[in-house]
Amino acid sequence: MKRGWITWDKTELPPSAFESRLAKVRQHLFEKELPALVVYTDVWRSNQGRYLSNFMPYWNRALLVIPRDSAPVLLCGLSPRVYPWIRSVTILEDIRANMNLAKMRDENGWNKVGVLDFPLLPYDLSVPNAVDVPWIAIHPEPDEGELSMYRHAAKMAREILREELRAAVGLIDHEFVGRLERKYRTAGVEDLVVLVTNGDTPPVPPIGSTLTPSFSVSVAMEYRGHWVKIVGSGFQPAAGLPPGASNSKIELLSGPYSYESCRPTDLKPGSIFASVAQSTIGGKRIFQGDTYRQGPNGPELL
Amino acid sequence: MEEHGWDLLLLYGHTWRKDYFRCLINFNFSGPHAVAVLDRSGEVHAIVSDPWDAEGLPGATFAPDFSGYLSKFGSARLAIAGKEIMPQSFLPNRDSNGAASATYLVEELRRVKSPQELDRIRQAAELSDRGYQHFAQVADVGMTEYELVAEVEAFLKSNGAEDNFMLIASGGTEVVGMKPPTERKLQTGDSVTTELTPQIDGYWAQICRTLVVGEPSAKQLEAFAIFAEARQAAEDLLKPGVNIADVARVQNDVFRKFGYGEYTGPKYTRVRGHNLGLHPDENPYVLEDVNYIVKEGMVVIAHPNTYLPLSGYMVFGDTLLVTANGCTSLNKTERKLFRK
Repeated sequence: MKRGWITWDKTELPPSAFESRLAKVRQHLFEKELPALVVYTDVWRSNQGRYLSNFMPYWNRALLVIPRDSAPVLLCGLSPRVYPWIRSVTILEDIRANMNLAKMRDENGWNKVGVLDFPLLPYDLSVPNAVDVPWIAIHPEPDEGELSMYRHAAKMAREILREELRAAVGLIDHEFVGRLERKYRTAGVEDLVVLVTNGDTPPVPPIGSTLTPSFSVSVAMEYRGHWVKIVGSGFQPAAGLPPGASNSKIELLSGPYSYESCRPTDLKPGSIFASVAQSTIGGKRIFQGDTYRQGPNGPELL
Repeated sequence: MEEHGWDLLLLYGHTWRKDYFRCLINFNFSGPHAVAVLDRSGEVHAIVSDPWDAEGLPGATFAPDFSGYLSKFGSARLAIAGKEIMPQSFLPNRDSNGAASATYLVEELRRVKSPQELDRIRQAAELSDRGYQHFAQVADVGMTEYELVAEVEAFLKSNGAEDNFMLIASGGTEVVGMKPPTERKLQTGDSVTTELTPQIDGYWAQICRTLVVGEPSAKQLEAFAIFAEARQAAEDLLKPGVNIADVARVQNDVFRKFGYGEYTGPKYTRVRGHNLGLHPDENPYVLEDVNYIVKEGMVVIAHPNTYLPLSGYMVFGDTLLVTANGCTSLNKTERKLFRK
C-alpha cells in the first residue's frame, strides 16, 4: 500500500507537464464533441489519475473529472480534512466530498461524458451515456517528463537492490524484505511489493525461508507514482538477461494498473514494461528482470 | 445458493480488495485479478490473471485476459461477491441485473470469525503491539514522518507482516487528521498519531495510539483523558446484542459531556471504529447512523479518533474480540498517552 512519502517535486515534474497532458485531453474531447472526461482511480489503479493530476489515493477511490472548458475536479472518497494535503501534492484545487458524478453532470448539463477505459469501470459506478475513451487516445506513449521519472525510479530500484543482494544469502526472507522496505522507503518510495524464491517456485510473498545462493527477488516499486520492477538473484547481479534464459513473464507498467501480466503483442510503441527471464542452474530456477521501454528497435533498458 | 437459485457463486478480488477471494481461497495473489468459483456441489475453482499466481495455486486456471472470460459460464445463474468492484467488461454478455450481488451476504458470513481466523488476528494484534513499541522507540526529534514509517515498515515486514496499513500525523492544533507521511520533521511538543494495521496470513489487526515528543502539555493531557474515557465507554458497552450505533453513541456522548460534541461529526472525524478481518476497514462502521446488532466472535476496533481544539487530532483504540458477555482487547500495549 502507498504508505511512503507521496509528494510533488516541481523541479522533477513541472506544472507545464500537466498543462500539456491536459491540453491533449481537451483536444480529444473537442474532436469527439465530449464535454468532459472521467478518470477512475483507486489504490491499485492510480497510474492514469497520477499522469493527469499527480493525484494518487493512499486509500479509497476517486473520480477525476476533466471538463473541456474548465479546471479539473476531484470527486473524492477521502475526508475533506485531507484536501489541503491533496492540493499540496497535486495540480488540483477543486475537490468535492463525494463521488456524485450524476450531480455534477446535472449542474453542467452534460448529456454524455467520456470515460477513460470505460470497460474497466467498476460495476457500481454506473455512468449513463458514457463514451469510451481508450487510454492510448490520450496517452499514446510516455512523454519526456514521465520517461525521466521512470528512468530515475529504475536507477534507484537497481542501485538499492544491487547493494542489498550482496548480504542477502543466509537471511530469513522476511528479514531481507524488511531491509528492502527500510532502504526503499527512506529513499522516498511510496509503495513496494517484494516477492522471493529459493528457486523451486516463481517469486512469491515471503514465507519464512532462509535465502540460499539460488534465491531470486522481485521488487516492484512505485516512486512518485511511477512503477518499475527489477528482478535479481543471489546467483548473479541483476543486469540484463542471462544467456539461454527463457522469457518468464512480461508486465505492463504504464497501463491502468500498477503492474499487470501481459502478452508481448499487448505492448505498444513506448510502453513501459518489465521483462523477467528465467534460467535453470543446478536444478534451481533463477529469475532476472528489469524495466524497459518498447522502442522503435525493440526493448530499451530504462 | 440453493435458496437464492444460484448455480455458481463467484468471489472476485483485485489487488486492492483481495478479501472476497481470500475468504474462500486464502491465497495472496499478485493480481491484478482473481476469482474463486464455487458450485452447488461445493467444488471450488480459481481463475487468476497472473501466470506466477497460477503456478502457486495448484489447479488454478490462468486467464491472461479476464475481459469476457467469465461469460464462459453461459447461462448459469451467477452471484458475485465483490461484484461492485469488478470491472464491467468481465461479464460483457450480462447486463447489471444478469448476475446477482452476493457481496452483503458474504460479508455477513465473514463477520463472525472462526477459531482459525481468530488465531491469525491474534498474531496480527501481537505484531501490532510490537510494531507500536518499535514506533515509540525510534520516533525522535528531527526524524521525518516518512523515515519513521520506513523504520516501522521494516520492523513489521521483518517480523512476518504480509502487509500493513498505516497513517500518521505529527504537530499540534493545526493537525486535523492522519494521512501518508510527509517530510515534516518531528519537533518537541508534537502529538504524533498513528494507526498500525499489520496483516498476517490475510487478516488485519489495528492499534491506534498517540505519542507526545517531550512532556505533554496540560491541554494534551486534558484531551487524552477525554479520549480514554470515550474508548473505555465503548469497551464497557460492546457485547453481543448491542446495536453498533450505540457503541458510537457512547463514545460521542463523552465528547458531548465535555462540550466537544461538534467534533464527533464528519467534519472532524470519519468513524468511531470498524470491523476487522480480511479487509482492514470492514463493515459495519461504528457510527450513530449504522444499525447492526453485534454478534459474538466479531472483531471490532472502537476508536474515538478525532480533532479537538485542545490538542489537534488524537487517536486511541484497540482491536476487540466480542465475547459471550462483553469484549476483550487483543492488544497488550499500555493504554496511555505515550511520551518520548
